[in-house]
Amino acid sequence: MSRSSYLKPDTVALHTGYVPESDHGSRAVPIYQTTSYVFESVSDGSSLFNVEQGGHIYSRITNPTVAVLEQRIAALEGGSGAICTASGMSALFTVFITLCSAGDHIVSATQIYGSTATLLKHTIKRLGIECSFVPVNDEQALRAAIQPNTKMVFCESIGNPGLEISDIPGIGAIAHEVGIPLVVDATFATPSLCRPIDHGADIVVHSVTKWMGGHGVAIGGAIVDGGRFDWAQSGRFPELTEPYAPFHGIRFWEEFGPSALAMKMRAESMRDVGASMSPHNAFLILQGIETLNLRMKQHVANAKALLEWLQQQEAVVWTNYPDMASNPSHELAQTLFPDGAGSMLCFGVVGGRAGGAAFIDSLQLASNLANVGDARTLVLHPGSTTHSRLTVDDMKAAGISEDMIRVSVGIEDIADIKADFARGFKAAERVAGGA
Amino acid sequence: MYIDVRAQKTYAATGGKEFDKSLPTIMFVHGSGLDHRSWALQTRWFAYNGYSVLAPDLPGHSLSAGEPLESIEEMGDWLADFIRAVGVDQVHAVGHSQGFLDVLELAHQAPELLKSITGIGTAGAIPVNPALIDAARNSAGDAAEMLLMWGFGPDAQYGISAVPGMQPIAIGRQIMARNPLYQDLVACANYENGSAVAKTIDLPAQLILARKDRLTPVKAGMAFAQELNATVTIIERYGHMLPIEAPRQTLLKLRELIGGLEQAA
Repeated sequence: MSRSSYLKPDTVALHTGYVPESDHGSRAVPIYQTTSYVFESVSDGSSLFNVEQGGHIYSRITNPTVAVLEQRIAALEGGSGAICTASGMSALFTVFITLCSAGDHIVSATQIYGSTATLLKHTIKRLGIECSFVPVNDEQALRAAIQPNTKMVFCESIGNPGLEISDIPGIGAIAHEVGIPLVVDATFATPSLCRPIDHGADIVVHSVTKWMGGHGVAIGGAIVDGGRFDWAQSGRFPELTEPYAPFHGIRFWEEFGPSALAMKMRAESMRDVGASMSPHNAFLILQGIETLNLRMKQHVANAKALLEWLQQQEAVVWTNYPDMASNPSHELAQTLFPDGAGSMLCFGVVGGRAGGAAFIDSLQLASNLANVGDARTLVLHPGSTTHSRLTVDDMKAAGISEDMIRVSVGIEDIADIKADFARGFKAAERVAGGA
Repeated sequence: MYIDVRAQKTYAATGGKEFDKSLPTIMFVHGSGLDHRSWALQTRWFAYNGYSVLAPDLPGHSLSAGEPLESIEEMGDWLADFIRAVGVDQVHAVGHSQGFLDVLELAHQAPELLKSITGIGTAGAIPVNPALIDAARNSAGDAAEMLLMWGFGPDAQYGISAVPGMQPIAIGRQIMARNPLYQDLVACANYENGSAVAKTIDLPAQLILARKDRLTPVKAGMAFAQELNATVTIIERYGHMLPIEAPRQTLLKLRELIGGLEQAA
């Protein structure tokens, strides 16, 4: 087990990273809405710039409110440090460009979020970084895809939107055999349900916009450095082991060891790319994290209750939830997600594409929008929105069908969610009957 | 930098600057199971402000090769060989916890190599709970868990970090879990010469102690300071891992103490 704190997770979620400040005794984490920080002297400023001491210089790089969130997320995940970013996508971009240069290569699971697939397939390709996609948990394909220039294996702990469970221990073992890290996007699970570092992941990425924030009010991302990967022994990461010219030739691995990656991302990506999280967003996300475990319990309970009910509805053609007994990933889900495999579920509705549209358009309680992980129930038709940029073949490979409805089950009373969906099914059945 | 000591490849951090033996030199010695990274927020300042620094990893620790040394006396002897291998005449020696016991032995065995000694979060003896030694025999990681729970003060337990975004407990655990913590703890537990050695030392000496230190309590440090005729500074609020928990306060005190000695010289 990787541990950053001796406090229990519910306590970490409320307290870690902050003790009431001395000037005013503010119990809540203050919002340090400032761009910059006054140096005590020229010498003090110089030593901050040269990493001779810790502290804040400019909020693009660090900010006290954001730092509380970073330290709290690092502790929740059991990492050596964390960096918060403007969004989940910028967190992923930061990881990719910190570890990869032109000519490098990534192996990714096929079953991932549409925008991440686009980033890997098209955007970073323009920077000379190639990506091979393999079906998640296909060990043979993974081994075959790894090249001498491969810098990481990437997967999502629960795939979006197909809800495939990644065999984190198995994938991690293959990556580690050849000295490359496993990067896991754990957005759908949160550390409340699964801590990937405990299972062999080296870097964890979150869109904290989702369940971590939990209220749909702030965009943000986080990267957690597990601290366990030996960048020197790997031999593939001169970015971390050789002198870094823009910082007086610092060697991050020698200097910082278990926090080398986090320090490099801070010193390079936050400085040069500047995808920083605003202190106000950090504050809002901190409010969400305070109740993360409570919410996740309710999210999971509602998801399971809704699934059971959906399976009894005639208008439902198929259902998918990661630890559903008939799901091939059931056993893996039970192992990696003992308290429930999240609150996302998918189903197909009668009437195909038109039936799905009728279902969504008739809902009143659930919201049709491009987000997940809100406290409220959200629905979406991936084929026409989040994954619309994918070809039909790519959609199929990503486990998406045209009739798929994706549900992010909220924490409302389950009776009201069922009543709303019942209204939707009537509409879908009318379309199916007319067809 | 890497140098050969006793024909073993040995790593010593130099604070991000090339080592220059013409400058006043400070040697930082890490505690049980730790390495040069304990001193990251002290060594860089000295290196960029008129000093040369050396923060070696003891044999078998982190980036240094070789088998771990089995006693504090051997560690003191090894430090003397290390200084000679580097080719510097004298150093200010700073040790954290067990690292200061090593420095004491160095001062006893080779006082000609030293200008001053400074102990941080330490005492003249560091008894170790047998349960901790047993745990370390089986798993450095499990023992690190126990040690860090006691070693870090209240702020660090609440995830406060001097470096924004980082988690010192996790960093400490990752380092300790890979290092020969068992051998270090046994060496600490077996060392009983502190008081006798203190009587033989005639060097400027100072101790920087932590008010919330639960591994080497202030009371033990104060008592040893008298035996050593050392000046004492107590840093409030923090625990045993002072160089990591309170890097700035530790640095400021070291600047004052070592800077004062250099000015006087």
